[in-house]
Amino acid sequence: MSSPRTVSRLARILALIPYVLSKDGVEVREILERFGYDETQLTKDLNTVFVCGLPGYGPGELMEAYIDGDEVVIDAADYFARAPKLTSTEALSLLAAGMAIVGAGQASPELESAVTKLAKVVMPDAGSAISVDVSGEPETLERLRGAAADRNVVRITYRSLSREAETVRDIEPWAVFTTLGNWYVQGHCRLVDAERVFRVDRIRRLEVLEEGFERPSGIPEPGVTYSPSDDDVVARIALSPQAAWVLDYYPVEVVKETKHTTEILFYSPDAEIPARLLLRLGAGARLVAGDEVRARVAAIGGALRDRYR
Amino acid sequence: MQNVVERVLNLLIYLLESPVPVTADDIRRTVLGYGDQSDDAFHRMFERDKDLLRSLGVPLERQALDIWEVDFGYLVDPDKYAIPDPGLTEEERVALSVAARMVRLGGTNAGLEGLLKLGGAERGVGIEPLGADLGAETAVLGDLFLAITERRELRFRYHEAKRSLKPYGMGHRRGHWYVVGEGPEGERLYRVDRMSGVELGETRHAYTRPRRFDVKKAMSNHPWEAGTDERITATVRFDPEVAWWAGRTLGVEAPEEGHLDCEVPVANRDAFIGWVLSFGEAAEVLGPEEMRDEIRARVDAALESSG
Repeated sequence: MSSPRTVSRLARILALIPYVLSKDGVEVREILERFGYDETQLTKDLNTVFVCGLPGYGPGELMEAYIDGDEVVIDAADYFARAPKLTSTEALSLLAAGMAIVGAGQASPELESAVTKLAKVVMPDAGSAISVDVSGEPETLERLRGAAADRNVVRITYRSLSREAETVRDIEPWAVFTTLGNWYVQGHCRLVDAERVFRVDRIRRLEVLEEGFERPSGIPEPGVTYSPSDDDVVARIALSPQAAWVLDYYPVEVVKETKHTTEILFYSPDAEIPARLLLRLGAGARLVAGDEVRARVAAIGGALRDRYR
Repeated sequence: MQNVVERVLNLLIYLLESPVPVTADDIRRTVLGYGDQSDDAFHRMFERDKDLLRSLGVPLERQALDIWEVDFGYLVDPDKYAIPDPGLTEEERVALSVAARMVRLGGTNAGLEGLLKLGGAERGVGIEPLGADLGAETAVLGDLFLAITERRELRFRYHEAKRSLKPYGMGHRRGHWYVVGEGPEGERLYRVDRMSGVELGETRHAYTRPRRFDVKKAMSNHPWEAGTDERITATVRFDPEVAWWAGRTLGVEAPEEGHLDCEVPVANRDAFIGWVLSFGEAAEVLGPEEMRDEIRARVDAALESSG
């Protein structure tokens, strides 16, 4: 297989040539910005184009490509007058991104028309065959997003999955994002004076305060990662194949794999999450080690037995 | 890498400009960059270059040169190569570029790379603090999209069983991609991340999509609505401390005080029981009795292995 760098370099060259050919003179500055080049890379790619062409490979057969003053010049490359077609992954990614924002009611008129035009070209007869829905809690989400954009502190009543308790916290919302089907808000939590990620559907009440905040620069890319800390409860769990989906949903560490079971270490702030998971998995999983979790499984399991008597 | 880029550009130009299919031998003799290789080295190199061209979206075709199908030649039809022009304005390209940066597909930049082929965009302003990752196996998603747009049949494994499907559409909902289509036993919905060994049939336009097909209607809202179990209605009680949250998930109004009782249509009992048990002891299925039996058995099994 060729390296991903070779692929993206070629892809960019094949997009660059038709763009320059279609214009009557293009500034270097525009090309750098439009195609995400820096000047060294652009020069390198133009030099490559300059030595390629038709068999014979003499001066009359090669393409012309160079920088003239502040303009990019490409000529004698008629066979590259058009860019190659979108790959199916490119087409779907672009379409899905647009549709997600249209579906969330966030689209500008330009984006809506762009999605319509694009869909007509990449799936002419597929009509309503694709749908992307990332909507969650429209009302809370809308206000959170507004607060993040306007840099307003919000006061949330939050129910944590692990603590089973509601807390009221003031947070400085930096970003609102969605992954694995849930919406999250990332920001600075004043209660614990640290960066935290909250699930939007667990926010019971939301109040946008008058108070503003300074958004720090260099905010880490939003994501739901869980970094184990010393206070964590650790459970060692053996998963059978039908419970293997757990690997995709929780930040776990695989310690042993055999044909029939996968043994993992499951870290969490307390025993509640792994205990509920084990109850839900039934015979599909077995707790190998973790006394706190075992006690919690016994407690919830006992209570459930009473309810289902 | 310098050499690879030059050689592949030369190869593509040669293929685009040849009016007839050209053989591998011809390419080896003619295109700059292939000379002085042993037979083996040439063939490895040529295979890699063909894969590279295809991954760029180049429709490289292989055609028999005689009726006995002894000799084969390669061809790139310039009309099939060229991207159809959707006629985007610069404003529309900027909007798409902002969208592609806000919503990604499994951490790849395929959307932005695709946009370059459409002319790219100068940096848009005002990126909102919103992000979404429609994460999944992007290669499979691309193949499924291809199957749907070209109406090709699919074969794959799902929970170890072999399946075939005429895919009508696909969609993303609640963190998962689904594909919907017609199987031997009627309309079916599959979760993409559970599919493996996906293969596309050779024939294009192998079936017709029903007029008025709308994937949104075909996809269900909750994981327990998508399934092949006999459809039943479960009654479930949520205790006051979780009532608001369960009500939100189910889209029903929960009382300010007190518990919430709901009737829920279920087509996948396993998924539903899993969801109810994720509430711990704060939720209870009140009926039907068979589902209570199933939950009892599940809890007993968990207590046996982990309690």
